[in-house]
Amino acid sequence: MARGRRLFFCLLFTALWLVFFNAPALAHKVMIFAWVEGDTIHTQSKFSGGKRVKGAQVLVFDSEGNQLLEGKTDEQGAFSFKVPKKTDLKVVLRASMGHMAEWKIPAEEITAVGDVSGGSLPEVGVKVATEEAAHSTDVRSSGGLSVPETMGLSRQEVEEIINKCLDRKLTPIIDMLVNAMDRGPKVTEVIGGIGYIFGLVGVALYFANRRKRE
Amino acid sequence: MHISEGVLSPGVLIAGAGLTAAGVAVGLRRLENEEIPSVGILSAAFFVASLVHVPVGPSSVHLILNGLLGLILGWKAFPAILVGLALQALLFQFGGITTLGVNTLNMALPAVVCHYLFSWGVGIGARRLVFILSAFAGGCCAVFLSSMLVGFSLYLTGEAFLPVAKVVVAAHLPVMVIEGGLTAVCALFLRQVKPELLEGAYVPKLSSQPQNGSG
Repeated sequence: MARGRRLFFCLLFTALWLVFFNAPALAHKVMIFAWVEGDTIHTQSKFSGGKRVKGAQVLVFDSEGNQLLEGKTDEQGAFSFKVPKKTDLKVVLRASMGHMAEWKIPAEEITAVGDVSGGSLPEVGVKVATEEAAHSTDVRSSGGLSVPETMGLSRQEVEEIINKCLDRKLTPIIDMLVNAMDRGPKVTEVIGGIGYIFGLVGVALYFANRRKRE
Repeated sequence: MHISEGVLSPGVLIAGAGLTAAGVAVGLRRLENEEIPSVGILSAAFFVASLVHVPVGPSSVHLILNGLLGLILGWKAFPAILVGLALQALLFQFGGITTLGVNTLNMALPAVVCHYLFSWGVGIGARRLVFILSAFAGGCCAVFLSSMLVGFSLYLTGEAFLPVAKVVVAAHLPVMVIEGGLTAVCALFLRQVKPELLEGAYVPKLSSQPQNGSG
């Protein structure tokens, strides 16, 4: 019988070993990741392990907990919306079967408020400003007079242009972060958990033995 | 299968925690010293099973193994599953601490039900076909009942029962089949190697001996 028991434990450990080294740690948890790009907020929703969450409900709340808008994730698990207003936003993902995740966007990250009625006004504004700037530069060079006020590019406009460039340059990096955000449970955590359980068994046996002696 | 934090209403959470506490108490009361290691090992198996992802169906689902725990442990599945779930919540962030009670109830209660329904067929004396079929049914049924309980928990919080339950059960159909098969294989293996685990006679046989050298 002792031989059988030893075989049982050997096989059980082999099974456990195979289980978590063969299957790349994948399991049951959802998460949402949101980032700001200009006047738009993009979100990406995934199950732990990388599978996209399709057709799940996304809710957006402001800091007081009022619901601002809601939508559904597409086939890629993505959902984008125009910034409804400049405040701390909380993006909540409600997947099926009682899964929920949230992501907070602080107000400082929001640079532009999207025009919900459509049409990107800030862009037009920048273009006009740039043309004015070019024009005023021409005037200056022909006239030979340098007047800083006629540059036409206000501080705010410069900020907008820089923000746009940064958004464009940072997009691949953000994509990388989204993909790297979750690699699922690590082997160390799995082994740690099993260690905890065996530790508990040890404690239980200790008390059981002490009770028996008394 | 793990319900996240913030989904359920406080009433459901408290009711789930209370029922789980009762179940754990019953389980611990029935726990004999000689069984502590096997409860621990099955708890570890449960803890790891959730990492085995089943890539079929619309959602992300994983093995549960509560049928196997129920068939072998009966009420002692409650403490085993509680420990496994607590560690999953702490280390993997599956489910959560506040939903621990409800999640334990959702997975452990079906295990106990399956124990009463099917464990008569999973004994050494049973014929091979009966043995395999009851083990399969135990694994299958436990997952099905768990899915229904998850649907029911969400229903108590205000979602419509039928659509949610349909989604949960549909997502777990492949898991039910796989779990059934896995439970049957495990039970067959145990019957070959460690038949005392499957026999109710295990505990009385040992406790009738003078208690000296078994610890």
